[in-house]
Amino acid sequence: MAATTDFVAAQAVNRRNTVLLLALLTVLAAVTGYVVGWLLQGEATNEVSLMSRFGLVGAGLMAAASVVWSLVSLAFGDRMVLAMADAKPIEKQDAPQLYNVVEEMSLAAGVPMPKVMILETEVPNAFATGTRPGHGTIAVTRGLLDKMNRDELQGVVAHEMAHLANLDTRYMVVVGVTVGLIALVSDVILRTMQWGGPSSRRRDDGGKGSSGAGLLIVLLIVVAILAPIAAKAVQMAVSRQREYLADATSVQFTRNPNGLISALTKLGEAAAPFPGVSRATQHLFIVNPVQAMTSRTPAFLATHPDIADRIARLRNLGA
Amino acid sequence: MSSWIVIGIIVLIALWLIMIYNGLVGGRNQAQTAWSQIDVQLKRRHDLIPNLVQVVKDAMGYEQETLTKVIQARNAAAAASGPAQAGPAEAALSQATRGLLGLVESYPQLKANENVKQLQEELASTENKIAFARQFYNDSVNAYNNRRQSFPAVLAAASLGFGPIDLFSMPETEREVPKVALR
Repeated sequence: MAATTDFVAAQAVNRRNTVLLLALLTVLAAVTGYVVGWLLQGEATNEVSLMSRFGLVGAGLMAAASVVWSLVSLAFGDRMVLAMADAKPIEKQDAPQLYNVVEEMSLAAGVPMPKVMILETEVPNAFATGTRPGHGTIAVTRGLLDKMNRDELQGVVAHEMAHLANLDTRYMVVVGVTVGLIALVSDVILRTMQWGGPSSRRRDDGGKGSSGAGLLIVLLIVVAILAPIAAKAVQMAVSRQREYLADATSVQFTRNPNGLISALTKLGEAAAPFPGVSRATQHLFIVNPVQAMTSRTPAFLATHPDIADRIARLRNLGA
Repeated sequence: MSSWIVIGIIVLIALWLIMIYNGLVGGRNQAQTAWSQIDVQLKRRHDLIPNLVQVVKDAMGYEQETLTKVIQARNAAAAASGPAQAGPAEAALSQATRGLLGLVESYPQLKANENVKQLQEELASTENKIAFARQFYNDSVNAYNNRRQSFPAVLAAASLGFGPIDLFSMPETEREVPKVALR
């Protein structure tokens, strides 16, 4: 099935995964809402029945909250990111070469022309954002424009265009929301139990089915502690995979691995944090601006693959 | 009971045909959109070239063989239509344009000219855009042609009006470096 171009297929997969994740997110939220409501009712009435009215209310509330949260992030996520990074939109006459390169890559990818923005910092870096197809933004720093030649700039812009063409930007927003919600929910569960302390009292009362409930609660605590870590690890694994794919798609667009290779080399040497960048947005950039300073982050929690690794894979593409 | 099975099979076949049909429509539309993108860039090049030629002519004070060739190639390309006709004409124009850009490179007083610099970047970028748009067009056409020639679509494609689409090839007639001589 070499018929369809790879990024069209990647886009379809990301679209499907987005829907799946959103469904999973809603179910997860509903289940947690139920559990919290059930615990609260157990506390209030000293009675643990599996059908809990509080639980149903909690489930409904949490499901609604997760839907609203996802929709809000999808609608405003890109604007928030751009505001946080302090990106300024430019016209063609402000940076003709950059604008031309973005136009070239949008033609190569067959996606509508995204908005072009500049971050005023000397550190070279770039990112893409956009939660709707055809409404993307590609932002590069002033430092990138100053330090890269045309081929390198093209490689970087192609990498960002690949994120847009693959719809990674939207997918990662939804993944981020999922992980955030899992963390929040775990927190709520742990706090509910700490505050109410329902488990111990109920066990002492020796009501029906309470020993089963006690075991369930221990399990719940373990899950609540481990789930956020696991979710974060999955998110980072997805993020690293997307970076590899975007590198490969970039070369598919430019047919010139050397541009991106030498750009990555320069980016790796100059990587540094700059104002407007934080842990909340670090995963968006072509090279991680925060992690460069704290390279002791374990590999499974890194947002990006090692630059040497990325370059090695690009060389395999026949540079 | 058996009538239900028959109805089920008919429904499945209908769904299958709909999927094939929609796939062909999608592929053809993508190829057509891609072609219009190439067309935009080709027109842009046809518009840019006379400007650059004029600036070069003004700066040098007389018309040179390369310039005449570029204008001839440009007019021939502007008159062509459709991928099959435009291909060779545009290839010739690409070659003539490279000669023109090479001419600019070899004259310091031209290279320093702000106007020329700007036109140079525009023309170089337009060349790239044509190449990238062509890449996407040809990928789309390949995907479409493969789809309509594959079994079972091949049985119905022609009778449903899904003809083959031409690739856009720009054959390189001569690979030699354009001569830049001033006489």
